[in-house]
Amino acid sequence: MSFLSLAFAQPLILYGLLALPVIWWLLRLTPPRPQIEVFPPLQILARVLKPEETPHKSPWWLTLLRLTLAALVILALADPVFRPAKNVGSGGSVLALIIDNSWPAAREWDKRQATAERLINDAGDSGIPVILALTTDAENVEIGPFAAEAARDRLRAAMPRPVPADRHMTYAKIVDAIDGLSDTTLALLTDGLAGPDDEGAFAQLLASNIGRIVWAAPRSLDTIGLTSADNQPKAMIVKAIRPTSDTPPRQFTVHALDDKGRRIGEATGLFGAGVSETTAELKVPFELRNDFDSIVVEGENLASAVHLLDENSRRRRVGLISASEADQSQPLLSPLYYIRNALLPFADLIEAETSDLAKAVPELIDDKPAIVVMADVGTLPQEARTKLIDWIESGGTLIRFAGPRLAAAENDDDLLPVRLRLGERALGGTLSWTEPQPVAEFPAQGPFFDLAAPRDVVVRRQVLAEPTPDIVERTWASLADGTPLVTGAKRGEGTLVLFHVPPEATWSNLPITGSFVEMLHRVVQFSRNQGRLEQSADGKPATLAPYRMISADGALIPPPPDARPLVLGSEIPPVTITNPPGFYGGGEGVVAHNLLDASARFEPIARPGTNVPITEIRYAFDEQRDLKGWLIALAILLLALDSLAVFWLGGVFAWRSAAKAGRASATVAAMVALGAGLYVIPALAQNTDAKPGDAEAIEAISLTRIAYVLTGDSAVDSISRAGISGLNRFLIEKTALEPGEPAGVDIAVDELSFYPLIYWPVDPAAPMPSAAAIARVDAYMQQGGTVLFDTRDQYANGFGALGASPATLRLREILASLNVPPLEPVPPDHVLTKSFYILRQFPGRYADAPLWVEASLDAENSENRPVRTGDGVSSIMITAADFAGAWAIDQSGRPMLPTVPGNPLQRVYAYRSGVNIMMYMLTGNYKSDQVHLPILLERLGQ
Amino acid sequence: MVQIGKSVEAAATSEVLVRARQRAALVPDLLVEARRVANTVIAGWHGRRKRGIGENFWQFRPYVEGEARSRIDWRRSARDDHVYVRDREWEAAHTVWLWADPSPSMLFQSTSADVSKESRSLVLVLALAELLSRSGERIAWPGLTDPFTARNGAERLAAHLAHALSQPSKPDLSQIRRMSDLVIASDFLDPAESTINWLAPLADRGVRVHLIEIADPAEETFPYAGRTEFRDPETGGKMTTGRAESIADDYRREYLARRHELMAWCRRIAWSYTVNHTNQLASDALVRVHMMMTAEFGPGLGGAP
Repeated sequence: MSFLSLAFAQPLILYGLLALPVIWWLLRLTPPRPQIEVFPPLQILARVLKPEETPHKSPWWLTLLRLTLAALVILALADPVFRPAKNVGSGGSVLALIIDNSWPAAREWDKRQATAERLINDAGDSGIPVILALTTDAENVEIGPFAAEAARDRLRAAMPRPVPADRHMTYAKIVDAIDGLSDTTLALLTDGLAGPDDEGAFAQLLASNIGRIVWAAPRSLDTIGLTSADNQPKAMIVKAIRPTSDTPPRQFTVHALDDKGRRIGEATGLFGAGVSETTAELKVPFELRNDFDSIVVEGENLASAVHLLDENSRRRRVGLISASEADQSQPLLSPLYYIRNALLPFADLIEAETSDLAKAVPELIDDKPAIVVMADVGTLPQEARTKLIDWIESGGTLIRFAGPRLAAAENDDDLLPVRLRLGERALGGTLSWTEPQPVAEFPAQGPFFDLAAPRDVVVRRQVLAEPTPDIVERTWASLADGTPLVTGAKRGEGTLVLFHVPPEATWSNLPITGSFVEMLHRVVQFSRNQGRLEQSADGKPATLAPYRMISADGALIPPPPDARPLVLGSEIPPVTITNPPGFYGGGEGVVAHNLLDASARFEPIARPGTNVPITEIRYAFDEQRDLKGWLIALAILLLALDSLAVFWLGGVFAWRSAAKAGRASATVAAMVALGAGLYVIPALAQNTDAKPGDAEAIEAISLTRIAYVLTGDSAVDSISRAGISGLNRFLIEKTALEPGEPAGVDIAVDELSFYPLIYWPVDPAAPMPSAAAIARVDAYMQQGGTVLFDTRDQYANGFGALGASPATLRLREILASLNVPPLEPVPPDHVLTKSFYILRQFPGRYADAPLWVEASLDAENSENRPVRTGDGVSSIMITAADFAGAWAIDQSGRPMLPTVPGNPLQRVYAYRSGVNIMMYMLTGNYKSDQVHLPILLERLGQ
Repeated sequence: MVQIGKSVEAAATSEVLVRARQRAALVPDLLVEARRVANTVIAGWHGRRKRGIGENFWQFRPYVEGEARSRIDWRRSARDDHVYVRDREWEAAHTVWLWADPSPSMLFQSTSADVSKESRSLVLVLALAELLSRSGERIAWPGLTDPFTARNGAERLAAHLAHALSQPSKPDLSQIRRMSDLVIASDFLDPAESTINWLAPLADRGVRVHLIEIADPAEETFPYAGRTEFRDPETGGKMTTGRAESIADDYRREYLARRHELMAWCRRIAWSYTVNHTNQLASDALVRVHMMMTAEFGPGLGGAP
């Protein structure tokens, strides 16, 4: 069932649409239930209410909404499918899917993949296995049959490869795979280009048991391939081809890239109507041309549209031959010295190992150099001469330099561009009127036409050319008097160049000028290498590792894992999956392995003629869309709309009273504020450097607070707290100090440095503090804090060393791991005795208990000073008097514990002790300085 | 949604009586006390020798501009060039007829109201009865009792009400004589014309009528919204509206137009018209009605508080 490119998987459900009128009737009859209200002034209301405003039925739009909703649900249940795809892959017993993933398939590969996936899905739906073969795969790759799911996974992993399809091998594998299976569905997803042996491949395929063929080829084939790039003197000629089926005229742009991918040249080419082969000329200066790394057709993005250029087309090999290479100890006099240095930056220099010309010349020519330079070689052996002439005829460039030997040699038309006069000509000298000649402007027809003539060069001696009619056009450079300095001539494909001076600074100073380098460079640029190196130094075939490869879409990529080194032999290895196109070699020199050779042609693939039924499909994305989800979503949306409408009819959104509106707006405002707060608070937290515990720290230091150690025994702790509260109250009454609430500290956890004094009631029942906690206390004391240990056992101690109470023992234990200075009972002239009250003793709840402080042993104590000197504050105080017990008051301010003995003054003295200790803590030795006050005043008065 | 208004059970008479006594005991007592102080000089339980409402002639006095023309004594005025008004003596035993609407619509009470309209009307009427009885006036309930004087008038009236099985929706007003007062506590939700037609004969007979409109706030503000079906507790009629809030303005206009028409009519014939909302204090209306009954006739006294 299909219409309007819609199909339904469950068309019977569509009969449910017949129920719509019934639903409509029901909907019309059941209006939303109203709110029932008793309303006495109905008569008044009746006058206001117009009859049409009393709907006994639903509003029409609500009915329409609900009808649409019902229709949508029915349609969704019928599983509608938009643009259903034809099912072509499900037939027979097995689906053999052959996909060309060769380089033309890189264009719209995802479409091809989607098409293949559709076929696999069809096969999977009908439960038949799938044989999946890719035509660029190696021979040993498994092709199945697979289950549909496995085939799909393999398909997803498949990528287009920058190599041509190997149909013959792949089809043979298919034939093997379907051997014995009956009624095979063969799906050929081709790349559209004919291969070398398509007919044979198809023939062996069709000979097997094929039930039907599904054929897919690209609708149009408009690939452009670059087959060769020829570096001509004036321009680089790029040859481009296109498929023969692509007949309309077409313009294209090629550009040249350097090794960094920068575009350094551009040219346009044009395919005439019906022409499938054309050229484009990259007219770029020589220097830039040598930087060409690859040539790319713009916008093609295919491996065929990339042509790589290697050293072979760029860097020239230059063979050097000299007959007078004798004196190695005087290099500056060697005839090849200047040539070597001039050519080294832009050419590979090859020198014969022997000076025997009969061996040296063939040896050099076997290296297939672009140029052979012969410095002052007069004659050659016949064999070498013939070989050299052949080499020149096939494109070599021979550069010769004059010299005494050449001047003395016979004329040789085959190896000299011009006929020479015997002997040389000397310019200037004792027996000559002539002056040494400068170089004239380079003639326009020569290759040096755009070089600046060297004005500072003078030629004192040269070989002279015979004046012939063509001497002018063969002259590439001449002296000021018109005699040729450099002559050149074509010999077959090659070129002969003669410098009429030797390559050394004897006859002229040309070899030591920059012009010499430029001229040689120019000649080298015109030359071409005569083949590629085939053998490495040890005679084995040279192998080059993959360096940078071209991907199927024309990008330069690192070598894929299946790329193997390129073996250079007598012929170029074919482009296969193990030798994909790209650069082989290394950083010092690479060889380009191009996809298309100069003779490549693009022919469209021909569909094999057969009587097996062929279904042609197109590469396309799966356009099938399951509409069920969309319809359900739409229905849910309508349902939400319907709910809103019902609420609206029910008056939920009518906020009539201002109070309600106010409440609502207040709620909204609160929610917005909350949201903003949630948003802002983390932002604030990020902006400040707040740390956990800041609030406690601020609280601890905003007031001076006396701390006490929490022993864990609630009785002790509460007495400590009450005691310090009592002391606080006394301090507030009597002194300017107004301490905050007592702070109970856990010495193992809490920060201690906030408190000037920590009162530590030593409780033998409490567990011994951990070593870390003791260390914290030690650090606290080192940093200037004071700990007041109170053993509260004045009357519990026995006599002697064995009579120590448990609290004292515990104190000893604690002090054992603390850095405790020497101690002494408070001496009568200690600051503590005078820091606020004048005290002689420091009683707590128990009288007569001494207060031990840090000994000030070295303090000098003169007779007339009431207070001994001393700096700092004792970091430790030890008592047994139970200060907290004496200070402790309850809520009503009454003492909690009796003093022992029961002397009321003792409590007062206990408080005063506390005040003195606190003042000592806060003011230090200030009071001991105060004793100087009369003297200071006296001095000030003077 | 929560229903805004509902019909409540008819208030128990005894309970209403208690509340009425509380009302009467609190606010209006002061007024009565004040009057008594003022009247001490005149003295006498019945001897209110001053002009006021009554049946006997008290004096002629010149007509003052602004007084109701209906009070001009044309017979006396015809004797000379002046226009006279006949003042009557405040009769001690004045007859006040009290009536509260017993119709089902009075049973309505909305969520914003404290009591039902019926309860409020009974409280008002019984409080008046209490006050009037204490002042020695004769009170009566049309169709239920004849005028009587008793110190415990409210109690007796309540007893009568408790024993009345059913009351007609419109009482027989024919036995009310002129110069009597009639207090009607109702919601007056019938069309104004029908109310006027019903009460017009009383105006002809010279009965002074005090109308107390008991209004529920929901009836006046119309706080309904959304699709609502309204039911008349009296007739049982139904009416459904799609969006109640859309007609609220029209309804309020119509509702107030009825009240204003009645008010204007009352002002014209020098009757008093008091509106009491059930979410307000009953004392307000009580004080006002009491004031109206003791005040002189005159323009500008009627009307809404």
